[in-house]
Amino acid sequence: MSVYLLNVGVFICIYAILALTLNVLIGYAGVFTLAHAAFFGIGAYVAAFVAMNLSSSLVVVLVASVLTAGILSVIIALPALRVRDEYFVVVSLAIQILCVTVFSEWKGFTGGLGGIVNIPLPEIFGGTIATPMQFFLLALGCLAVITLIIGLMVRGSFGRSLMAVRDNESAALALGKNVALIKTLAAALSSGLAAVAGVVYAYYLSFINVQTFTLDTSVLVMAMVIIGGTGTMCGPILGAALLTMLPNALSYVSFLPQTEIGSIQQLLYGLAMILMMIFRPGGIVGAGRSKRNRN
Amino acid sequence: MVLLQLLINGIQTGTIYALTAIGFALIFGSTRIFHFAHGAIFVIAAYVFKFTFGDLSLHWGIATIAAVSTAVAVGLLVNFLIYVPIQRHEGSYFTIFVASFGVVIVVQNAIAIIFGRGFVAIETPLSNAVEVVSGLLMAPLFGIALVCSVIILISLHLTLTRTHVGIALRALSQNPELVRTFGLSTRRLSTYAFALGSALVVPGAIFTGAVSGLNPTVGLHIMLISLVATIAGGIGSIWGAAWIAFAIGVAENLVLWQMDSQWSEAVAFAFLLAFLIFRPAGLFRLASAR
Repeated sequence: MSVYLLNVGVFICIYAILALTLNVLIGYAGVFTLAHAAFFGIGAYVAAFVAMNLSSSLVVVLVASVLTAGILSVIIALPALRVRDEYFVVVSLAIQILCVTVFSEWKGFTGGLGGIVNIPLPEIFGGTIATPMQFFLLALGCLAVITLIIGLMVRGSFGRSLMAVRDNESAALALGKNVALIKTLAAALSSGLAAVAGVVYAYYLSFINVQTFTLDTSVLVMAMVIIGGTGTMCGPILGAALLTMLPNALSYVSFLPQTEIGSIQQLLYGLAMILMMIFRPGGIVGAGRSKRNRN
Repeated sequence: MVLLQLLINGIQTGTIYALTAIGFALIFGSTRIFHFAHGAIFVIAAYVFKFTFGDLSLHWGIATIAAVSTAVAVGLLVNFLIYVPIQRHEGSYFTIFVASFGVVIVVQNAIAIIFGRGFVAIETPLSNAVEVVSGLLMAPLFGIALVCSVIILISLHLTLTRTHVGIALRALSQNPELVRTFGLSTRRLSTYAFALGSALVVPGAIFTGAVSGLNPTVGLHIMLISLVATIAGGIGSIWGAAWIAFAIGVAENLVLWQMDSQWSEAVAFAFLLAFLIFRPAGLFRLASAR
């Protein structure tokens, strides 16, 4: 039983990391991306590659993954500087689809549809992380560090510049803010830290394939951020915890057919997204109405 | 010969894409609502036709009427129950897009629960290919789809240029303020746009079901194509969207000549990315920049 709870705990941490980092773009930068799962994937694939071929040290793997994803974030930063709003949503959709194609076709690096198996256990300070408890502590530690980084960023001058760009780009520009640089840095921060979730995921399951990094995951994480509350710190974590526990909770409801749990889960969060947007666009934690009103 | 075959397949895919893209372009162009759920309506129409024609074995005419009325009803319901309340208190594209995406998720999974996740096809002898010339296969359905599309496009063109509603809809996409000044109700016009746009998914939905089969996620792919086409064609330009969607369909098939089919979708999107980065206003830009 405790192993089961720890397993749920690890997944909550992984999704909370994804939701928090996505919130940097959606909530604070006003850049609405649907390509977040692509960076989750980049983190996981780089982690698997480094762990199997170069080094078993957790620190080396983390640095390699975060840097790769951070640098590759230019593929969303570049179009985000050129196009806005609806246009960018479509661009990010396209990027997500392109990345999934690359993940499933670049067989030498990603293992294609079969994925990568037998990723070795991570080593840190001479010890190996192996038991569920150790993995839970690792995931929790990563989540804590990322929460701290993003929390500090939001309170600092960079966070305020970011929100200024979100609320009124022209005004921020007029005040001498370097909008292009701010957006690029936000994308790098968000994507780089999302790769941490990929690293934890790859190590924990010791198996990855393209199924985990598709548009469905991007949408799930988006739903977590939105249901929890965009532009808040606790919102995404709350959303991640709720939506991760949902399928587990549903499996206790005896009259539901077990094979349809996945569909019922998606149906419920789809419904939650619609109702939330009509009655409480700010999310559970958010400030209610009109906070994001930019028109 | 292979190339010719691919070209013919491409034209078939292209007409289906064009019809769906026009519906979205019409709704998005005139109401500026980012109606992502258009893809969901496509799926609903396809499954209603499949259910009434395939499972209940009713006449195809009745099945078509059922599909059209369901599509229009769902389109109007989504507008009245979701978009109108959201627009009342907040106009941000983001809120509408999220709600619309929610509709797609709900519909996709509801259909998966009712009809299953696997591929189903609308069975008809018309989709059996016949060898026209040696090595060149064509199904009678291809001709029917082409003729239907041309008829629909011509009647749509006449509606948009010759009737009051059509002219008002085009005006709405260019200058909503002026339309209001003339005393026309933008809300009523939005209703027409949703009804017309939703009805336009039906032929594409039926032909897709008969040609390549259906699954609950088929709407997502067709929606992505419509988005690409609407944006690359220039928002407000319905024919721009139609041409781009048609070109994507043809290109997607011609790519098969040199590449594996997994890449065909990626090629379409790489094309879009290049477009948005180098020419964000679209090819056939009509209205002034937003």
